[in-house]
Amino acid sequence: MKNLLNELQHADLHRQTRRHFLQSAGFGLGALGLGSLLGSCGSSSSDISEKTQAAFARIPQFAPKAKRVIYIHMAGAPSQLELFDYKPELEKYHGKDCPAEFLKGKKFAFIQGVPKMLGPQGKFKQYGQSGAWMSDYVPYLQTVADEITFLKAMHTDQFNHAPAQLLLHTGSARLGRPSLGAWAVYGLGSENQNLPGFIVLASGGRQPDAGKSVYGSGFLPSVYQGVQCRTGGDPVLYVTDPNGMNRNMRKQTIEAINEINKQTYEDVQDPEILTRISQYEMAFRMQMSVPEVMDVSKEPQFIMDMYGVKPGEGTFAMNCLLARKLIENDVRFVQLFDWGWDGHGTSAGDNVEGGLRNKCQLSDKPIAALIQDLKMRGLLEETLIVWGAEFGRTPMQENRNGLVMPYMGRDHHLDAYTMWMAGGGTKQGYVHGETDELGYYGVKDRVHVHDLQATILHLMGFDHEKFTYPFQGRNFRLTDTEGKVIKQVIA
Amino acid sequence: MLHILLQASSWALFIGRFHPVLVHLPIGFLLIAALLEIGRRTGKVQVSESAISFILFWSAISATIACVAGYLLSLGGGYDDELLSDHMWQGIGVAVFAWIAWIVKSDRFHNIIPFASIIYLPAFALATLLLLSAGHHGGSLTHGEAYLTQYTPEPFRSLAGMSPVKEAVTEIKPLADVNQALVYKDVVQPILEMRCVQCHNESKQKGDLRMDKLALLLKGGEGGPAFVAGKSAESDMIKRCLLPENDDDHMPPKGKPQLATDQITLISWWIDQGAPADKKVAELTISDQVKPALAALGTSSAANATAKNTVSAIQNVKVPAASEKDLSALRKAGLIVNALSQDQNLLEVSAVNTPNFSDKDITLLAPIAEQIAWLKLGDTKITDSALKEMSKFKNLNKLHLEHTIVTDAGIAHLKSLPLLEYINLVNTKVGDSGLREVAAFKGLRSVYVWQSAVTDSVVNEVSRKYPNVMIVNGFNEAAVAAFLKAGDTTTLKAKSKAL
Repeated sequence: MKNLLNELQHADLHRQTRRHFLQSAGFGLGALGLGSLLGSCGSSSSDISEKTQAAFARIPQFAPKAKRVIYIHMAGAPSQLELFDYKPELEKYHGKDCPAEFLKGKKFAFIQGVPKMLGPQGKFKQYGQSGAWMSDYVPYLQTVADEITFLKAMHTDQFNHAPAQLLLHTGSARLGRPSLGAWAVYGLGSENQNLPGFIVLASGGRQPDAGKSVYGSGFLPSVYQGVQCRTGGDPVLYVTDPNGMNRNMRKQTIEAINEINKQTYEDVQDPEILTRISQYEMAFRMQMSVPEVMDVSKEPQFIMDMYGVKPGEGTFAMNCLLARKLIENDVRFVQLFDWGWDGHGTSAGDNVEGGLRNKCQLSDKPIAALIQDLKMRGLLEETLIVWGAEFGRTPMQENRNGLVMPYMGRDHHLDAYTMWMAGGGTKQGYVHGETDELGYYGVKDRVHVHDLQATILHLMGFDHEKFTYPFQGRNFRLTDTEGKVIKQVIA
Repeated sequence: MLHILLQASSWALFIGRFHPVLVHLPIGFLLIAALLEIGRRTGKVQVSESAISFILFWSAISATIACVAGYLLSLGGGYDDELLSDHMWQGIGVAVFAWIAWIVKSDRFHNIIPFASIIYLPAFALATLLLLSAGHHGGSLTHGEAYLTQYTPEPFRSLAGMSPVKEAVTEIKPLADVNQALVYKDVVQPILEMRCVQCHNESKQKGDLRMDKLALLLKGGEGGPAFVAGKSAESDMIKRCLLPENDDDHMPPKGKPQLATDQITLISWWIDQGAPADKKVAELTISDQVKPALAALGTSSAANATAKNTVSAIQNVKVPAASEKDLSALRKAGLIVNALSQDQNLLEVSAVNTPNFSDKDITLLAPIAEQIAWLKLGDTKITDSALKEMSKFKNLNKLHLEHTIVTDAGIAHLKSLPLLEYINLVNTKVGDSGLREVAAFKGLRSVYVWQSAVTDSVVNEVSRKYPNVMIVNGFNEAAVAAFLKAGDTTTLKAKSKAL
């Protein structure tokens, strides 16, 4: 009997080649990366997802205060000096030559020679418990002043849009790194199995300068990349079934394709095939869920009024309303991009007077409404809202090519600008940081974009120094080798 | 095999590190043997000679193994040579004399060896004495020579001729005038004293490095000088501090108290400024980066250090981990079950993917009743009877019940949950009496009642009564109209145009 068992074991080992071992081990490990995004579409895939759901969400270092994020990016960079950073002293210097110390050794995107200083164009008042300064450009935001933490002395390293946006969203000014939203979903996982964990909504007529990389997954598996939804018409193109194809047939098609994909995966072990499998299944579920969640027709009229939207619009205001609906459906990270904030003073649209006022009018009310709406639904406590841009604008008036601009405008400025956060465990009504009396440099509590990233990750429960992904032989972080958590802004 | 062990390889150190474990075996064995021998000779205990001989045999074996492990450990270096040599020879002595004592006593050799019975007692006694001495020296090697007597109280202290107690550096005292402070003596050295000197001092020199004096820092250790004046980025001590904490070369070692970022900034700054021995802060160039770190050393800033955050009680809750079997059963049912954080076993459970979750499903959660901290059952089919089950979830901290048909009757069941801080009752059937009840819960911080049966007047009344509870009712049509008016600037504009 004993001999018989030995013989059996021996024969079994003979059959197990190295290839067998690698195949089974590889498949098991690869499947771990799939997780709950995959969910189950047909019965054939459920055995993978069951094994992998647990592995999907990584365990945070500390209990997250912000379970979800809405990141509102004003692409182009609005002027902090018109909106939040009130500098009465700058008014006195209006029209005078810029002091030489501001220009020595500095590079600007467009300013040449000696520009003139440009006084603030808005009318400022203090609001809320924190006494935060806000201008008449943002009359609605004033009503929620007590929910907001301002970062008044933000600074960055890049003065052109695309690299600055990349630095802000991916931690590096060069391509190839995962974006903040991708890290968030990689860390905390995706909850709603019928919706992507990371959704992007853009408005303003143009995509961000840095392209899709600002919401890409970099070296993370591509299941973590942001999925952009259209706000007018079909939210996702080609997600509806063509005429003559019913849902059951679609399901069978996808199952057949995924069966082939799985076989291919077992042969070549490329994890991107797992992504492809999960995206097919996700797309199938999204056929039902996305039109439903993106449909605002069931919203009561007074909510529509609050945001100032009409059904069918593809505006920033509509994106704010959709962001709330997505958050309500447990989407982890919603990224809003709004283009048109690059106020150089070159045209009637691009300036810090009428042009900026116009952009504010389109966005101020919906942002305030979004904060109110999340709050009354009990979601603001757990949802972090971040507002800001890739950099700020100069206290000097732009003098492109040494000429006087037709409108009042300001150049890109990386040494000081304002961002704000609300909800998600940040302080309610707080101002962090200060700039000098002309708003050129931060003089107190400066916050670098890496510090902001570290703080956002901290609010989501992750220590930015320990939250890493191994790639090409080293552990990568969102904050690379820098970043400090701004403890003061955490409630 | 042997040559691998004799070098300071990781194998040698791996085995060597078991020395402090193994060494306690001969200590225990030999002392027990000695006690029994005394007891036997004084007639206090009935014990056979063979029993004592047996214990002696194992004393000798374990002492020998401990010697080998001890030698391998010493290859790693970092010990006081003189102390080490004493300890080693005493340890070997213990093993040798234990063997002798056993041999002369054993039946096999007893008759061959002359004077066997005369040798026995002295060998035994020597082994025991050497054991005590070797043990003490071993302790000194590990903990430092002053360890045993460091906290000797008065009057024994002066009687023994020891110096008065030297206060250990546990915190850096704020400086009265930062600008007049000496950079090395008042800023850098206290940081080193607090974080580095414990392992790099006169009696314990890890990596052959001493950090208690400036000259010794320059002299450095195995890896060369601790710093390169003028170049903090090339200085070993800075590089090691900046490595990830779980890197083998990181200092201070993982688990020990670490340097604060400001402290690294200050030391780097001192090195970049040429590492002067006796310059004052004001005499060096103060960069923007180092300004806040320097300011924090002053007396004024110590007072206005940031106030402690209001910490939620849930953070101190410790519960046993839920079993994997229970967790996978829940996940199989479609629930999301995730850990809250790495240092707690608390769980977050969400039914977002199971909109048909109903009262009978609540029993699924019973095995993890203790672990559930955050529970999201919004938009499900649960009713009041599910809430009755929840009264067993003692660590429930956040509860989402929005868009369900729970009522005031169900709310009453949650009364006994001490850690409940957040409850979402948006679009439920909960009414005024339910809100009155909820607001009275101990520890509650926020309750959301928009679109429930709660009336505005009771929200106001309860808000006044419980100022620490945030009660959010939300907007109705009238409130939205007021909101729209609050930010409406078109009327203002129209006026200014008319002017």
